[in-house]
Parts: sequence; C-alpha cells; structure tokens
Amino acid sequence: MSSPDAPHDAGTIDLTSCDREPIRFPGSIQPHGFLLTLTPSLAILQASDNLHAWTGTAAGDALGQPLFDFIGSTAAASLGPELAAGTVGPRPFYLGTVTLANGKHFDVSGHACDALVIVEFEAVQRSRTADFRHLYPLLGDFLLKVNDASSIDALAQLAARHTRAVTGYGRVMIYQFDPDGHGHVLAEARDAAYHSYLGQRFPASDVPRQARELYTLSRIRVIQDANYTPARLVPELNPLTGAANDLSFASLRSVSPVHLQYMRNMGTLASMSVSLMVKGKLWGLISCHNADPAPVGFEERAACEQLGQILALCIGAREDAQELQFRLDVRRVMVSMLGALTQSQNFIDNLSHVFPELLQFARADGVAIVVDDQVMAFGDTPEPDQIRELVGWLQTRAQDEVFHSSALSTLYPGGAAITRNASGVLSMPISKIHKHYLVWFRPEQVYSIDWAGNPHEKDTQASLTGTLSPRTSFAAWRETIHGHSRPWHDAEIELAFEFRSALLGIALERAEQMAELAEELGRANKELEAFSYSVSHDLRAPLRHIVGFSDLLLESNGSEDATRRQRFLKNIKDSARLAGKLVDDLLSFSQMGRASLRPATVDMRDLVRACMQKLLPDLGTRRVEWEIGQLPDVTADPAFLYQALYNLLSNAVKFTGQKDVAVIRIYAEQNETEAVFHIADNGAGFSMDYVHKLFGVFQRLHRMEDFEGTGIGLANVRRIIERHHGRVWADAVTGQGATFSFTIPNHFEELPQ
Amino acid sequence: MTSMLKPILLVEDNPHDLELTLIALSKSQLANQVVICRDGAEALDYLLHRGDYADRNAGNPAVVLLDLKLPKVDGLEVLKTVRETPSLRSMPVVMLTSSKEEQDLVRSYELGVNAYVVKPVDFTEFVRAIADLGIFWAVLNEPPPGSLRYIKPT
Repeated sequence: MSSPDAPHDAGTIDLTSCDREPIRFPGSIQPHGFLLTLTPSLAILQASDNLHAWTGTAAGDALGQPLFDFIGSTAAASLGPELAAGTVGPRPFYLGTVTLANGKHFDVSGHACDALVIVEFEAVQRSRTADFRHLYPLLGDFLLKVNDASSIDALAQLAARHTRAVTGYGRVMIYQFDPDGHGHVLAEARDAAYHSYLGQRFPASDVPRQARELYTLSRIRVIQDANYTPARLVPELNPLTGAANDLSFASLRSVSPVHLQYMRNMGTLASMSVSLMVKGKLWGLISCHNADPAPVGFEERAACEQLGQILALCIGAREDAQELQFRLDVRRVMVSMLGALTQSQNFIDNLSHVFPELLQFARADGVAIVVDDQVMAFGDTPEPDQIRELVGWLQTRAQDEVFHSSALSTLYPGGAAITRNASGVLSMPISKIHKHYLVWFRPEQVYSIDWAGNPHEKDTQASLTGTLSPRTSFAAWRETIHGHSRPWHDAEIELAFEFRSALLGIALERAEQMAELAEELGRANKELEAFSYSVSHDLRAPLRHIVGFSDLLLESNGSEDATRRQRFLKNIKDSARLAGKLVDDLLSFSQMGRASLRPATVDMRDLVRACMQKLLPDLGTRRVEWEIGQLPDVTADPAFLYQALYNLLSNAVKFTGQKDVAVIRIYAEQNETEAVFHIADNGAGFSMDYVHKLFGVFQRLHRMEDFEGTGIGLANVRRIIERHHGRVWADAVTGQGATFSFTIPNHFEELPQ
Repeated sequence: MTSMLKPILLVEDNPHDLELTLIALSKSQLANQVVICRDGAEALDYLLHRGDYADRNAGNPAVVLLDLKLPKVDGLEVLKTVRETPSLRSMPVVMLTSSKEEQDLVRSYELGVNAYVVKPVDFTEFVRAIADLGIFWAVLNEPPPGSLRYIKPT
C-alpha cells in the first residue's frame, strides 16, 4: 500500500520532501493511452509523446491541427456533439468510444483544466460504448447487503468482496486512517495466492501529505502496469500558462517512480485506489493490488467509484449513529451526576459522592478531585503527591481548558513515573478562582501494532543508499507500544467541557446562594447589633437609676424630707418594673424573629375585637370612639398578626390619652396583590421629620413621662408584617393624630429567616 | 447665680437620669444656671434660637451635657449640627451615655466631641464625674475667644 504519488526526484533522501513534491504536475502520463490538450476552439495544443505508437503520427506533427481533422470524420462524428456543446467540465466526462483510422479502439474522456480541454484516449479492446449491464447487479447486490451489515468492519468486508468482483484484482483491502495518519487494514478480499495484510498497519509516511490532498480531490486512480515508461507531454509546458499542466484529474496521470518502485517491492504490478470520503475528510481508501499488469476499464472504475461512495456514506451514517448513541450514554450519566450534585450544600463533597458515576462518565479507571492541596482520589490513581505535582503542571498550561492526553509521558516530564495508571489523563479546572481540578486517569494499555513492514527502517535505508528507495520489506513487523492509554473520544472531551460548564454553573448558583445567605446573615447580624446596642443602653438605664436613688437614700440616711424619699422609692420601683418589662419585650421581639409562621385564614374583624377586648379594661373613664370598616380576611399567622394589631391599637389608645374624645378608625382596602389596613387616631401624632426612626428598636419620639413604653412595640409590628412579606408605614401631623398602615399579601409566603 | 456665668445646657430625656444629673450638678456646687432640654430637637431649637427659644438671650452655653440616646433627634445628630454651625462650632460638648459602645465613642470623637462620659452605675462616682466635668468645662477650660471667663468669687 502506498501512494502512487511519491516524488520524482531521485536525488533527495529526505522523505518529508515527498510532502513538497508537485505530484499534480508530473508532465507525463501512463502509456496505456494518449493525451491531447486542446484550445477552446479544439485545436491540438499539446500531445503525449506516445502519440506515434498509438496513431502513427508523431506528437510534434499533430500540434496545431484541429482535433476533428486529426481523429478523422467517423471519430469526430461520435465525439463532436459532446465537445462542441461545451459541456466538458472540470471532472473527466466519458465522451464515447471511438475507432481511429488505424482500427484501434479508444474510450475517450474529457475535462477542462487551466483554460484547456484535456482529452484522454484509453486503448480498449471493444469498439462499442462500455457496457454497464453486468455491473448493475453487482452494485445492486451491494446496496441490498449494506443495510444488513452489522458493523463498519462488516460493511468494509462487503465492499472489499464486491470491488474485487468488479476489478478482478488479486487483493482488495479497505483501510482506515487513524488520527496519526497510519492506515489500518479493516477488511480484505484476496485470491489465496496473495499474502494477507488484514489487521496490519501501514505507516503514515507511505502516503505523503499532498498525496492525501489529491486523494480528497480525485476519488480514483489506477496504475495498470508499474513497469511502464512514462510518456511526456510535447511541448512540456502548457503554452498558455508557461507552466506544467495540472493533471490532477487525468486518469492517465503518471505517478512517481518511487511509488512504482514501492509497488514492485511489494510484488504488485497493478494497483487501484478509491478514496473513502466521510463528511468531507479522507477517512480511508479502497486499495486494490494485482501481481500482474491489469487494466481497469472506464466502466469498472465508475462502478468502483460508486461502491466507494456508497461505502463512505454508510460509514458516515454508522459513525454518526454510534457517536450519537455514545453521546447519549455519556450524557445520561452526566445528567444523573448533575442531579446528585445539586443535592447538598457542599459541591466538592457532592462530587466525591458520585465517584463511581464520574468513572463511568469518562470511562476512566481513576478519578481525583483536587481542592487546593487536598486530594480526594477514587479508583486506580497515582499517589496524592504525584497528583498534586501533576495538577501543578496542569496549572502552568492554558487556563480554562480541558486538558487531555492518552500519552501523558510524552508531554509531562513527571508522566514517566505514573504511566501504569495515568498514561491517559483528562482534566479540567472546576473553579474560575481557586485551584480546584477534576482529573480522570486511564491506565497504560500496552498494545502491539502489526506493521506491514518495519516503518522505522524507511528513513535509514534511504539515507544509506542516497538513492530512490521506498521500503522493500512488507513482512509483518510487530511493534509494542508503551505509555499509552485508550485514546480519549472526541465526544468525551466535548462532554467534559459541557460537564465543566454545568459544574461552574452549579458553583455559580451556590455562590449566589451563599451571597444571598451572607446578605441575610448580614441583615440578621445588623438587627442583632442594634438589639445588643439597645440592650446596652436601655437596659442599663433602669439599673443605674435603681442604684442611683438607692445610693441617695443611703447617703442621706433618712435626713431628707418624706416626699423626696417617697419619690426616690417610687423611682426605684418604676425602674425595676421598667427593667422587667424591657426584658419581656426584648424576649418577645427576639421570638418574633425566630418562631416560624403558621398561616391560617384570619378574620380581621375578629382579630380587632379580640384586641379591643384586651384594651377596654384599661380605658377606665376615657371616651374612645371606635370606627371599624369592612375588613377582608387574610392568610397570615393569627397569633403574630394579633400581636401586631394589638401593638398598633394600644399605641392609638395611648397617644390619644390627652384627648377628650379619642377617635380610632380601622379600615382597609384590597387590591389584586394585597390587603391594606389602616389604623388612624386623632392623638398626639408626631413630626414626619422623624418618621424614619419610628419602627426602630428602642426608638422613641416622645418623652417617657408623657407616653410610657419601652420603644419596642413598633419594631415588633414591622418585624411581624415584614415576615409576612408585607410593608408598614405611618403618616402623622403633630398634635392632630397618626395613621399607621400595613399590607398583607394575598398569597402567603414566609420571608426566609 | 452670676449673670456673667453662662448656663450649662443639659439634654436628657429620661426623667430619672435628669433628676440624678441635676442632683449631681447641685452637689458639685456650680453656680451656673442649668437649662434643660428633653430631646435633641428641643436642644437644637434652644441652640439655634428657634421655636420656643426664638426669643431667648443671645450667647452659647458654657458647655452642653448631651445624652446620646434622645427622642426625635439623637445626641450624635445634635453634635453634628453643632459642629456644622459656625456660631456653635467652638462650644464644648460633653456626651453622656449609658454604655461604652465603641461605635458611639468613635462616632462621637469623629464628630468632634470634647469629652465622652459613660454614666457610672455607682452614684457617688456619677456625682464626681459630673462635678469634674462641670468644673473643667464651665470653669477651668479656657473659653473660646469672645466668651467671658468665669472668675470664682472669693
């Protein structure tokens, strides 16, 4: 197996020069036919120098003649319509079979190139147009069976057999290029006399780069006799361009003498290759060999080309299906993992809970999570120190990238020490900020490659002889490969990317939740601070007063007047009571924040009546007019809401204490989202300048002796209403009264604590 | 009481604290008149000659004894206004407070308080603290230019 397109220049021994050889411009053809280039007006511009052998006219003598004059009227009559119609395109087109004046028959094909028409005459035995009838059943049979083939190998096997049936060649191989460009023989059909290459590999250097490029352009080429002598074009250069003709698509195109030598070395004098193009890429070749020279007619070539196309299509479909199935499987594992990952708070912990799935996901034998210097490993992995070292090295590589290698030791200096379980590594950072990595390990898989001849000898031989020297040995040569793992599949790498974004997404969500929590905590903390601040101020005061007035009493030792002593004692008693009330209120305030709400449907009129019942006994002789409007039911915690309403109503009673007739109005309205309640009084009111302090803990807008209280009531109201997702506010005019309002949403939802 | 003596402004809302502070001031035998305001808003009215105090005699108090927690306008806000008002800026202000919460202390000094006194629980100590303060700020301290100095009668 080799490209028919190795270099011409025997002087070079650098085999990479094959990659630079202009194989598309050989300036010569294979001599089993002749070639003419024509001007657009169909005058002969160039001819191959074997023209004389086929027609009796020397190439030089034909130049300048109109084609139709040269081939005679009969041939001209059969080719004329096609050529004159200008239908000749860039790919060879079968124009017809002609018989020239000397009685020789030729299949004629034409294509346009470099503003010329290239016409090729291939000698054939028959005088009539190629007969496809015996080929149709072969193709039909192939088409029928491809659907039954269970695998790509089985498909290839089928194609090999059919290709052999079409060409009659001694050996047909189907081979696939691996990612390194080595050809791997998947299927073979051969005559018993031929040596088998099945399962063997042909090194990438057998087919130089631009030979591959030409394979992707021109799908079929035949060398029917490796011992041919090339026929050169006369004149050598295209007169229109002054450059060698591009013969990429010419079926007679001459190939490199190196390749011809390669064929002879391999013991095959005829060869044919059909490109297998899968999704626009050269996937592999159908490669046919015959020991003796063997022509492949135009019709057989067409059939083989079609076989190749059908095979390539089937391979593409099969690969797509396999790929899809594989991705589906991996994705299923991924989805179940992600599900498990969102279950608890600590996302790194979560990862370590799905270790078995992580292995399954990447088809790995070991996995490690590295969180800064902490290593959590599962399965067959290197030692923690070695993993740390590896991650250190990974960090020096491109950030954010998923790294993968199936031969780590070729990239990472420390890789040699861990080839046993870490020849393959797939890793990715799983934090944008921290040194957090997820690393999968695949063990070394020592395997052997059966080369069709030692691929490493080629260079040596060439440099020793300094002459044209393709390899001479095709004997099976076994190479053992160390330090490699099973390769990482494209889909695995892509899904690892996807997995990573999902992980970062989860981490991000976590971070947001944390930020929310922090904010929540900050709020709670601030409240707590305000609370302790108030405690330190307000709770100290009565204690200080008790001590102060007691000191005064002790100091005077009964020498002062009785009223003063009485007042001091009363002050002590009041202070003690206040201290007790402060402690009670503070406790209830903190309970308001902690206890969870138990929502129920609350009849607000009932609630108002309950509050009034508790307030009435303290009113004594005071005149209070209550005006209670229509109040909607709400969904809320009844006990809490009662507390809030009671605080507001008792405030209204308290701050109307200096009025002859107190008027307290309770009314409400309801909209689509919430119910709004108002408690209005005609009492002392307050200045709106200080409204922002109204609902703070221990904030007072009045002197203590005017209106007693601890300064906690409204703070409590706000806390209760806000826990119900409601709002609370107040309006007032000093000396004329105040209106307190609050809302309760129509749909109950507790504010998280 | 000498007319030359400038008054002491005591801003205190709590009636018990007020009584105790007045007792302490009387025990320190300061001759200054004591003007009492019951919240921060009233104190500002007094200092800025507003509202009920629009017609009071001109001149700043010798010292303001200012409770930190006050209804309506708290002590820190009063202090801030004092320091932002050119006619009041140089007037000594002593903050009286129940606790030594650091934030209050820091904030008070940031706003340029002259002294900061945590009301001691022990009454004798409280009397001493008030007396020291009164003497220092109303008597010993070099008054700002333009104000008169108290000369203790012999």
